[in-house]
Amino acid sequence: MKTGKQRALNVLQNILLIVYAIFALFPLIWMVLISFKSDTEVFTTTFVFNPTLANYQEVLLRSDYGRYILDSVIVSGGAVLVSIIVGVPAAYALARYNFPRKEDLAFQILSYKFAPEILVVLPLFMIYQKIGLYDSYVGLIWVYQLISLPLLIWVVRGYFEDISVEIEYAAQVDGYSWYQIFFKMLVPLIKPGLVSSALLAFIFAWNSFTFPLILSSNNVYPVTVAIMKYLGTDSAHYGQLAVASTVSALPAVIFALCIQKHLVRGLSFGAVKG
Amino acid sequence: MARIQLENVKKAFGKVQALDGITIDVKDKEFFVLFGPAGAGKTTILNCIAGIAMPEEGAVKFDGENVNLTDSAHRNVAMVFENYALYPQMTVYDNMASALRSKLYKTDEAEIEKRIQWAAKTMKMENLLERLPSQLSNGQKQRVAMGRALVRTPNVFLMDEPLAHLDAKLRNSMRTELKEMQANLGSTCIYVTHDFMEAMALGDRIAIINKGRIVQIGTGDEIYYMPCNEFTAQLMGEPQINIVNAVISEMDGSLIATINVNGNNIALKLPEDERVYQKIKESNLTNVDIGLRPQNVKYSFEPKEGYFKSSVYSYESIGNKSVIVAECADDQLRMIAPNGLSVGIDSDIYLYFELDRAIIFDANTKEYIVRYDEQSFIDLAASMEEK
Repeated sequence: MKTGKQRALNVLQNILLIVYAIFALFPLIWMVLISFKSDTEVFTTTFVFNPTLANYQEVLLRSDYGRYILDSVIVSGGAVLVSIIVGVPAAYALARYNFPRKEDLAFQILSYKFAPEILVVLPLFMIYQKIGLYDSYVGLIWVYQLISLPLLIWVVRGYFEDISVEIEYAAQVDGYSWYQIFFKMLVPLIKPGLVSSALLAFIFAWNSFTFPLILSSNNVYPVTVAIMKYLGTDSAHYGQLAVASTVSALPAVIFALCIQKHLVRGLSFGAVKG
Repeated sequence: MARIQLENVKKAFGKVQALDGITIDVKDKEFFVLFGPAGAGKTTILNCIAGIAMPEEGAVKFDGENVNLTDSAHRNVAMVFENYALYPQMTVYDNMASALRSKLYKTDEAEIEKRIQWAAKTMKMENLLERLPSQLSNGQKQRVAMGRALVRTPNVFLMDEPLAHLDAKLRNSMRTELKEMQANLGSTCIYVTHDFMEAMALGDRIAIINKGRIVQIGTGDEIYYMPCNEFTAQLMGEPQINIVNAVISEMDGSLIATINVNGNNIALKLPEDERVYQKIKESNLTNVDIGLRPQNVKYSFEPKEGYFKSSVYSYESIGNKSVIVAECADDQLRMIAPNGLSVGIDSDIYLYFELDRAIIFDANTKEYIVRYDEQSFIDLAASMEEK
C-alpha cells in the first residue's frame, strides 16, 4: 500500500510532467492549429474557428513544395548514406587498430562539430563557386558531412569498442572471412547505435538552414530554406507557413516513431560504456 | 587431426616479448597441456597456432606443412576462448552451429542438429539451447564455448582454460569427460591451464611455460618427479614443494647436508645412493637446495630420535587433509597432516626429512642436479612413452 505522502508526491510529479508536456508541445499544437486557419482568423481566434484546407491546397498543390521536400530528402538522406558508408569503417578502424595520432584524428573529426556553421560557410561559398559545387546535390551532401559524420563515427566507435575482439577471433576460427564477420557478426551488434545515430544525423541534416541558404539556390532547394518563401516581402501567409512547417516536420517524426525502440537505448548504450 | 609443431616462435607486443623462441612438437592425437603462471604466454601460443596472432619469427606447422601464411579460417582449428567469445545476438544453438554454417565448413542442417544435440548432452546443457548468451551464467557460457568447439572435426582443439569458471563438482566431472572425449574423438588437443590438478589429470604431456619460454616438456610424472628446476618443482604440486638450502660437506665418505633452522645448524646425513653422491661430487657444489614434497616431511609433537625442532606457523585444512606450515629460517616448511589435530600456533614441532625422496637443485642456478631413486623414474617415464 502506498502511503498518503507517496501518493501526493506521485500526483505532484505527474502534474509537473503534464505542465512540461504542454510547454513543450504547445508550439507544435499551435502550428497545426494555424495551418487550418484562414489568414484572417490567424490573429483573431484561438481554438474556435472555421477550419479550412485552403492553406494545404495552396502549399501542397499549387506550389513547388513537393520538389522542396524531395530536395531535402535527397540531400539529407544522401548525407546520412554517405556518412554510414564512410563512417562505419572509420569507426571500426578507430576502435580496433592502433596507428600514430589516432586520438588526434578522432578528436579532429569531433571538432567539425565545434565551429558555428556561419563561421565556415563564407569561405566554403567561395570555394564552392570556384569548383562548381555551388547549388548542387553533391555539394550539399558533402558539406552535410560536417554535421552527420562526427556524430555517427563517435557513437558507432563506442559500440565497436564494446564488442570484445575475441568475438571476431572466434568467427575467424569458425571459418568466416573478414567481410562475413563484419556483416554477419558485427553489424547486428552495432545496429542500435548505427540506427539511432543515423536518425539523429538525418534530423540534424534535415533541419540544417545555414548551409543550404548560402550554398544553394535554384537547383537545390531544401525545405528549411523554402519555407522562407511563404514570408512575402509585404505580407506573411502564416497559414501557409504553418502548413509548410508541419509537413516538413513529418518525415523526422515518422522515422523516429518507426525506430523508437532503438533510439533511447541505442544512444545511451554504447556511449555510457564506451 | 594433425601433428602441430612450433619452431622457435617469437612474438612481441610492443616492448614485451610474449613468446621468446617457443619450440614444441605436439603429436597427432595427443592431449598436450600448456601449464604456467599468469602472463607466461600460454594464450599467445594458442593464438599463434590458431592464426589469430602472427609470430614475428619461427614457423607454425600442421602435419609438417608450414601454415604461417594461412589465415585462421583456413587452418581448421576449433578454439575455446577464455572469455567465451560467444556471439551475443545468437542463441546457444546458433552459436554452436556457426562454424558448421560457414561457407568453408558447410554441413547440412540435419547433421548440425545431431552434433549439437550430442555436444549439448555431453556438456549437460540441453535445456539451454534456445537461450541467448546474456541469459547464461559464466559456467554455462563456458560450456557453450566448449560445445561450439566440440561440434567440429578440426585439425586441433585449442582450449584456453575451458574449465576455469565451472563450479568444483562440474569441473571434476567435465575433466573426466573431456579426457575420455578426446580419446574417443582421436583428436589433437592443446589445452591451457594454470590448475596443476587439471594439467596432471588431462595431459599426455605437459609443457611448462614461463616468461615466454618453454621450461620443461614431459609427462606429468616426469615433471612431477624430475622437475628441471626449482620453478617447475614449485609449480607442480599442491601444497607446494619445500625447498631448503643446505651446505654440503664430506665426512667419512658420506655427504652431510647442513641446514639452518631458526639459527641452529642441523647436520643431516644424505642417505647413500651411488648416483646422487656421484652427481653431487661431480658438480663440485657446496651449496645446494633440497626439494622435499610435503608428504615427505614427517612431524612429531614430541622430541624424537633424528627429528629436529621447529615451531608451527599455521595449520589449515585443505579438505580431506590438512597442511601444517612450520617455520624454518627464512622459509616455511609445508607438510601433510590429518584433519582434526589440535595444533597450537607457535607450539613446538619436531620434523624429520625423508631425504631418500629428496630432489637436489643447484642453489645458485636453481637447476636440477639429481634426485634419489632417479633411475626408477627414468624407467617409469620411458615405459609411459612406449604406451
